[in-house]
Amino acid sequence: MKDKIFEPRILGFLCNWCSYAGADLAGVSRLQYPPNIRIIRVMCSGTVSPHHILHAFQRRADGVLVAGCHIGDCHYLKGNYLTMKRMKFLEGLLRFAGYEPQRLHLEWISAAEGGKFADTVREFTERIRELGPAPSFEAVPKATAIKVT
Amino acid sequence: MNTKIGKLLEEARVDGFLAYRTIHGFFFPYLFSRENARKLEPWKQTKAHYPMAKLLLALARGNPNRTYGILVRGCEERAIRELFKWGQLERERVVMLGQACPAELARHCECWQPYPSQVDYGKPVPPVKGSKRVQDLEKMTAENRLQWWLSHFNRCIRCFGCRDVCPVCFCTDCSMEHEKLIPSNKLPPDTSFHLVRAVHMTGRCIDCGLCEEVCPARIHLRTLYKEVNRLVEEVFDYKPGTDGQNSPFIFPGEEAMLPPGPR
Repeated sequence: MKDKIFEPRILGFLCNWCSYAGADLAGVSRLQYPPNIRIIRVMCSGTVSPHHILHAFQRRADGVLVAGCHIGDCHYLKGNYLTMKRMKFLEGLLRFAGYEPQRLHLEWISAAEGGKFADTVREFTERIRELGPAPSFEAVPKATAIKVT
Repeated sequence: MNTKIGKLLEEARVDGFLAYRTIHGFFFPYLFSRENARKLEPWKQTKAHYPMAKLLLALARGNPNRTYGILVRGCEERAIRELFKWGQLERERVVMLGQACPAELARHCECWQPYPSQVDYGKPVPPVKGSKRVQDLEKMTAENRLQWWLSHFNRCIRCFGCRDVCPVCFCTDCSMEHEKLIPSNKLPPDTSFHLVRAVHMTGRCIDCGLCEEVCPARIHLRTLYKEVNRLVEEVFDYKPGTDGQNSPFIFPGEEAMLPPGPR
């Protein structure tokens, strides 16, 4: 069990119009990418609430990938602008709370970029593999850290 | 205080005025009306800090046709402005008189504006730039910071005090009661409890610090929300509670607005 390499669990939120089609293209082009990613199709990357991402980490996801259309290409005109700000905020919040912001990744993948999708998943999986398992949201502090102030 | 408020009541500019009254030597929030206007006292500087904006919100919801006056500090004015923006209070139904906070309170709060825009009582003291508590945490390594926060979050007894006292928590449906997100059978609640609340404070938290004061577990919530505010200013270019700037968190159109109502 111990010398088995760590297989991260990665959750991907892909937008219906670009990134999901990009992932589909990666599939039909028979591009190889790690099977660690579980994909959820959403109508727009802008519909991904910080709740969804926090809930993914709460349920022991090791990394979360959010992918949407390139800026200016959003099917709903400005959904991905919201995503961009929201993700930047959430990264800052996770960092301040002591969690690794690298476990959160935002990428713009168009319907024609099957190769980019495969590369992104490959790189992201490697990154999470190096980071190791994500700290649990239910973790208790080490005894040395407890100090009532 | 007695003359200005007394005049407002007498001229029927307001139906009631929310201010402080000394009872057994302590300051308590008190609703003055024409009938009990003789109980008004001269203004005295105090560090007493009550959820005045929340009391006003409850009053206004119960009596939507009445106009109320309120004695506000800097943070309470920001809260009321934010409630105006979210359509929870009506601008023409609120009359504000301002009081400046004492220097000690401003220092304790690390307040960026310890006085309202219009000061009727007291002398404004200079604001505090930055927050030492946030800076101290920034200096820690990520691992130490996680341990520090865990040592706080694990003390949580899920009393919802932080939410219930918060002047800008007015939603009728609360995400903190979402069974999947915050399972009700877990105590202490996991980190998502505090992070979900922090996410909801974006563009709303006016940094009054009541959440931290009311917390029975003494969780340093204010430090967390101060960082939230810093991030909101950096990412969204918005400072909650400022006048003349629309909140980027409110979508135009009436359907998306959160309806006012009792909780």
